[in-house]
Amino acid sequence: MMDEHEDPKFEQWLKDAAQSYHAPRTTPREAMWTRIAAQRERKHVIELRPWMRWAVAAAAVLILGIGIGRWTAHQPSAGNGTITVATADSTKAQSDFVYRVAATQYLSHTEAFLTSFRADAGLHRGANSARFSRQARDLLSTTRLMLDSPAGKDQRLRSLLEDLELLLVQISQLDAAHDGGGHDTDLITQGMNQSNVLPKLRSAIPAGPVPVRTEGAL
Amino acid sequence: MDESQLIARVRAGDSAAERVLYDAHVDRVYRLAFRLAGDDALAQDFTQETFIRAFDRLGSFRGDAAFSTWLHTITTTVVLNGLRKVKRFRQRETDIDDAHDIGVAQRHAEPDLKARLRQAIDDLPEGYRTVFVMHDVEGYTHEEIGVALGVETGTSKAQLSRARAKLRVALADFAGEWVT
Repeated sequence: MMDEHEDPKFEQWLKDAAQSYHAPRTTPREAMWTRIAAQRERKHVIELRPWMRWAVAAAAVLILGIGIGRWTAHQPSAGNGTITVATADSTKAQSDFVYRVAATQYLSHTEAFLTSFRADAGLHRGANSARFSRQARDLLSTTRLMLDSPAGKDQRLRSLLEDLELLLVQISQLDAAHDGGGHDTDLITQGMNQSNVLPKLRSAIPAGPVPVRTEGAL
Repeated sequence: MDESQLIARVRAGDSAAERVLYDAHVDRVYRLAFRLAGDDALAQDFTQETFIRAFDRLGSFRGDAAFSTWLHTITTTVVLNGLRKVKRFRQRETDIDDAHDIGVAQRHAEPDLKARLRQAIDDLPEGYRTVFVMHDVEGYTHEEIGVALGVETGTSKAQLSRARAKLRVALADFAGEWVT
């Protein structure tokens, strides 16, 4: 039965006539896309900046350390042997120091990241996968840099770095679309717990109020 | 490549996939923004804002509904909130102008159908106008409108019915056009 307010003739006439209401022009696709891309790029840089700050600093220190290491390795010995040994010792000590700074910075941030990942996995069932995946990719670059640095020659640290690399690869490949109810996230956290990676990580970080653990140290 | 794969690539940071997703949906988003805003600059702003929000929040898209439905929810939110801000701003300007124009006679509306219809639709309450534009002008279903506006399908139908009734009264002078 037709509603008392219904009038098919009026409705059809209204639909046809209303096509002139705010009739859109051709979509300015390119102009809008250019602005969207520019704004997203700006936003992306701003978003990453606080997170990337330490990673960039750690990478810079590593590169500096590698540079100092290579430079000292190629220095020809000249003049008084005692002085040369003293200079080399002092440079080596400096080089060791920057590696320790970089390694401590890196390990502290990885610990914070994994702790946050595990806590979030329990609460939100993988809802923040995309964010963690992006952050894991950033950390992964530093991990690989660490593996290739003299820090990677320390067997204990190397083993830890390899565990972390594997873990970060898994997190970086998390896909919120296919992480049904956080299943993949659960598997990663189970792996984390079984391999005791967090306790190992914590024990590798120097205890106490080490100045290099603060953000502005570098 | 289906849309879910495309969305996964966008989530992984693939900007080429972002562009493909944008191209697939921008026309409908822009059309709706333009229909509701009636202004090209505003429609472009709203469209841009819609896509920026959508890309930023893609992590929260669970795929329960179609991507287009989710996107149109963002579109209507962006457009309606944006128009409210514009309206408030314009109202302040109008109030100032009115203070200067006391005693000046109001201009009569143009007698032609197009202008009268535009005025009648503009004068509808926001909810009625949105449903009317989405359904009768842009062809959205009541289900799509319900999801986009966060209302029941029945509410969408009721609002459309009331919108049409108001327009019928406002356009009574033109009754001959639909009766014949």
